[in-house]
Amino acid sequence: MQVQKEVRLKHPILILGLSAIVMTGCATAGLSGQGAVIRAKERVAPALVYIRPVKEVFTEGKREEVVVVGSGFIISADGYVVTNEHVAGESKLVRCVLYDKNELEADVVGVDPFTDIAVVKLKTDRKDLPHVKLGSSKTLEAGQVVLALGSPHGLARSVSQGIVSVTDRYLDDNDEMVSPFNNWIQTDAAINPGNSGGPLVNINGEVIGINTRKLGGADNVGFAIPIDIAKEVISQIIDHGRVIRSWLGISLQETTSKTNDPKQMGVIIGDVDPLGPAAEAKILPGDIMLSIDGKSTNARFVEDLPKVRKLMADLPVGKAVSIAVSRGGAPMDITLTTVEKSAYKGEEVEFKEWGFTASALTPVVVRTAQLSSNRGVLVSGAQATGIAAEARLQPGDIILKVDGKEIQDLADFRKTYQELVAAKKRLTLVDVKRGALNMYLIVKQGAEEKAKPDTATAGTPGDGHHE
Amino acid sequence: MSRAMFLVSVACLTLGIPAWAAGAVPAETVAPITPAVVAQQYDRIVPAICVITYSYEMTNPGSGEKSKNTNTALGLIVSSNGLVMARGHMNIENVEPFNIRVKVGRGGGEKEYSAKLLTKPDDVNVCFVQIEAKDNKQQTFPAVRFTRGKALKVGEPLLLVGMLGETLDYTPLAREARIGAILTEPRTTYVLDEPMLPMGFIGCPAIDGQGQLVGVMGYDLTPNEGGDLYVHSGYPLLFQSDLFAKYIDAPPTEKTENQPKEDSWLGIFTQPLTDDLAEYWNLDKTGGVVVATLVPGGPGEQGGLQRGDIIKAFNNVPIKTKQNRDVVGFTKLVRETPIGKPVPLKVLRNGQPTDVNVTLAGRPKSSKDAEEFEDQTFGLTVREITTDVRIRMNMPEDVKGVIVWRVKSGSWAALANIRPGVVILRFGDIPVANLAEFKVAIAKAAESQPSEVAVFARVGARTGFFRMMPRWESNVAK
Repeated sequence: MQVQKEVRLKHPILILGLSAIVMTGCATAGLSGQGAVIRAKERVAPALVYIRPVKEVFTEGKREEVVVVGSGFIISADGYVVTNEHVAGESKLVRCVLYDKNELEADVVGVDPFTDIAVVKLKTDRKDLPHVKLGSSKTLEAGQVVLALGSPHGLARSVSQGIVSVTDRYLDDNDEMVSPFNNWIQTDAAINPGNSGGPLVNINGEVIGINTRKLGGADNVGFAIPIDIAKEVISQIIDHGRVIRSWLGISLQETTSKTNDPKQMGVIIGDVDPLGPAAEAKILPGDIMLSIDGKSTNARFVEDLPKVRKLMADLPVGKAVSIAVSRGGAPMDITLTTVEKSAYKGEEVEFKEWGFTASALTPVVVRTAQLSSNRGVLVSGAQATGIAAEARLQPGDIILKVDGKEIQDLADFRKTYQELVAAKKRLTLVDVKRGALNMYLIVKQGAEEKAKPDTATAGTPGDGHHE
Repeated sequence: MSRAMFLVSVACLTLGIPAWAAGAVPAETVAPITPAVVAQQYDRIVPAICVITYSYEMTNPGSGEKSKNTNTALGLIVSSNGLVMARGHMNIENVEPFNIRVKVGRGGGEKEYSAKLLTKPDDVNVCFVQIEAKDNKQQTFPAVRFTRGKALKVGEPLLLVGMLGETLDYTPLAREARIGAILTEPRTTYVLDEPMLPMGFIGCPAIDGQGQLVGVMGYDLTPNEGGDLYVHSGYPLLFQSDLFAKYIDAPPTEKTENQPKEDSWLGIFTQPLTDDLAEYWNLDKTGGVVVATLVPGGPGEQGGLQRGDIIKAFNNVPIKTKQNRDVVGFTKLVRETPIGKPVPLKVLRNGQPTDVNVTLAGRPKSSKDAEEFEDQTFGLTVREITTDVRIRMNMPEDVKGVIVWRVKSGSWAALANIRPGVVILRFGDIPVANLAEFKVAIAKAAESQPSEVAVFARVGARTGFFRMMPRWESNVAK
C-alpha cells in the first residue's frame, strides 16, 4: 500500500521527445550509431499511423464529442492498427493518417482498458500495407537504445531516441489509470502528449513496446507497455473483440508488505471484495496465497504482482479452482469458482431531459460506495442547471430507487427514465445514497423555470441534518 | 467645527444610562446618521472600546497539528464590573485562546488587565471575557448599554465604531453602513449591505440614527468552524442585542478545559418535508421532518423510528419544517431536550399517524473531542473512531479499530507509508478494536521489540498491510 506518485499520460497523448544530444555509440547492431538508428526507423516508420479519433466524453452532466490525437502502428498487411485504449476507446469515428500522408478511416475492433490497448482496422481493401515486426520484450536490457515514433502534440512522423531506463517498472493503480497485469518499460526517449499508442522500437527496428504514459513534472520519464503483454491482448481483441478475464475478488500485496523474510512464499491477500467469489469461499484478508491449481503464486516484491494477477485473470471463467493458502501458518485448500471480470468502465449514458449523466456500477464503485448489492446506477455528472440540478442530484450519488421501485442496473434505469419522460410525470421520488447517508430527492418535470428556486437560499443544499 | 455644537439634543445619552431613557426620535422613522450623531456617539462609545490581545492555540483539522500565535480583537465593555464582549471567532472549534489581556483607555491613560475567557454562548457567535480585578480591588469600567427589542428596517443606516490597526494605535474609527437585508429564518438577522468588514470592525458596536446602541457586528460560523446552528451567510451580520442580552445579565461561567457539552441526540439524519415531497406522498403541506437515514443503534432506531417516517411533533411541539434552513430549529429542539427523557413523537408512517416513543441519548463524542493516544515509539497518533468520523468516511459499524490522526515526520510509521486517515485494525498479531487495545499492542511491541511489525489496516473501502521496521537500538536517541 504505497503512495504512488502519479504517472499520467493524458488523453490521447503520449510521447516522444527529442534527445537533442544523440549518443548512439551503442554497438548493439554492430553498425555505426547513426546508420543503425536510421535503419531501425526506416523499418518501422512506413507503418506509423497518426490517429485522430472522435471520442465520446461525458463532462458535467453532458455527452460531448471531442477530437483527440494519438499514434499507432500497422501490424498486418490488411490494416490492423494497434494504439492505446485511451486514444481510440469510446470513439465511433477514427481517422488515420498513414506515413504516406494518405488519410483513411478505421473501425474500432476492440479495446482493453486494463492494459490500455486498442485495435482498430483501416477501412481499405489493400493487402499490401507496410506493417511492423513485433519483437520481444523478454530480452530487453536497461541501457539498450530505443526509438519512440509517433505524433507528439499532433506532429506526425516524429522520431525520438533514448535508452531503456528500467525494464520492469511497477506502477500502482489509481482512480483513472490502472495496469494490474503488466510492469512497464521505462524509457528516457522523449514522449509527449500525442505519442500515445506509438511504437517503442529497438535498434533492429522491431516493436518492443507501446508508448503510453509519462511522468508529469519530470524529464524524460516515459513508460511503454511491453510488447509481449500486448501481443496476447491484441490477438484476443482481434479474435473476440475484447479480452476475457476471470475475477476472484481479491487484492494482492507483495510479501514484503508484511515481512522482509525471504523465505516467505506466496502472496498476501490484502483485501477481499465482500461481493466476490473469494469472499463466498471464505477467503480472508491476511491469508497468504501459495498457489492456484498447483501453480505457485510467489510475489515478494511489487514487481512480481502483475504476473500473479495475470495468472488469476487467465483462469477460465466459471471454472472451479483450487487455491492453497496459509492462514496463521496453517495450510488450507480452498476451492472457488471464478467469475468473469467485469468491464473496467461502466457504460455511461446522458439523460438529456433531466440534464445529467449516469453510468453502470462496477465492483470498484460498489465497493467504494459501500453498497450492499450491485443494484443501482452511479450519477457521473450533473449540469449546473436543469431538472436534475434542481432536484439536487449530485455526481457520486447512487440512485437506488425511483418511485419506490428498486433500480437493477443502467438498462433498467434507462427504461424507467424513458417512461417518466414520455409520461411527463410531474413529481418523481428518487432514493439516493450519498456517502453514508440516504436521501429522498424529488425530480420535477414540466415545472416552469422558476426565477429563483427557494433552494438557492438554503444553507447547505442537499445536506442531511444530523439530530 | 466644534463637536459640542451637535450635542444639544442628545445630551442625556451618557454611558450607563439606558438608551431608551433618551427619548429620541419616534421609532417609525428611519433616522439618518447625522454628523451630530456621529460625533456624539463616538464620544459616548469610545471609552468602552478596549483592545484585547491574546495568544491562541490552533489545531489543524487535517493533520491535527497544533500551532500557537497571537492576535488582537476589539473588545466592548458591556458591564461596569469588567465584562467584555468580543467577536466569536476568538474561540471556535479549533481555536483556543489563552493569556488574554485587555487594554482599557487611551491617550496615555491606558491600563492593561488580565482577563479570563468565559464559556462561549452556543446560539450567537460572540465571546465574553471577564477582566480580573487587580489586587482584589473592585473596579468600575465605562460600559455601554444596549437598547433591546428594537426592530430595524432595510436601508436603515448604522454607525459603526471599530478600530484601526496596531500601527495606528488601535484608534477608534467611525463609519457608516446600512442594513441591506433582513433574514427571518431561523431567527431575525440583519445583514449589512457590504460584503466585507475590516478586521477592526468585527465585534464593534452598531448605533442607529436615534443614537441607540442596537447590537454588534459579526460573522456567523461556517460549517467548518462548527457553525451548523447559524446562518452561514458569509456577509457581516448585525447581532441585535436581544441575541446576547441574557449573557450580559447573567454572564456565562468561566470556561474550563474541554467542558463537555451534553447535547441530546436522536441518531437520525433528516430532510425537511418540502411541499413537493408532501404532494408526492399525498400529505398536507404543513411541514415536518423526514427521517432519511437512521444511525445504526441510535436512539431513533432503538425507539422504532423507520426510514421514511415523517416527524410531525416532537415532545408535543409541532414540527413544521419545510425548508433546509428550518431544520436547525428541530435540531435545536432535540439538542436542548434532556438526555434520558422519554419523548413522544407523532409521526406519519406510510401516511398513517403513528406514535413513537424515543429516549434521547447523549450526543456521541465528535472527532474533536475524541480520545487520542500519541505513541512516541512508532510515531503514530491515533484516535478512537467517533460516530461523525464513521459517517464522514462511510465506514460500516462492524469496522472496529483506531484511526491514524497524525504521523510524525521521519518516524517508523512514516517510513512505512502510514498516513492520516488510515484505520488500524490489527497491530502485528494483535487485533486492535479500540484505543485501549492499541495501547496494549504498542506496549507489547515495545517490550518484545520485534524487528518488524505488520499493520493490517483499512484505507478507504479496502484493506491491506503496512510493514514497519523499527530500529530499537536507536530508539533512545529518537
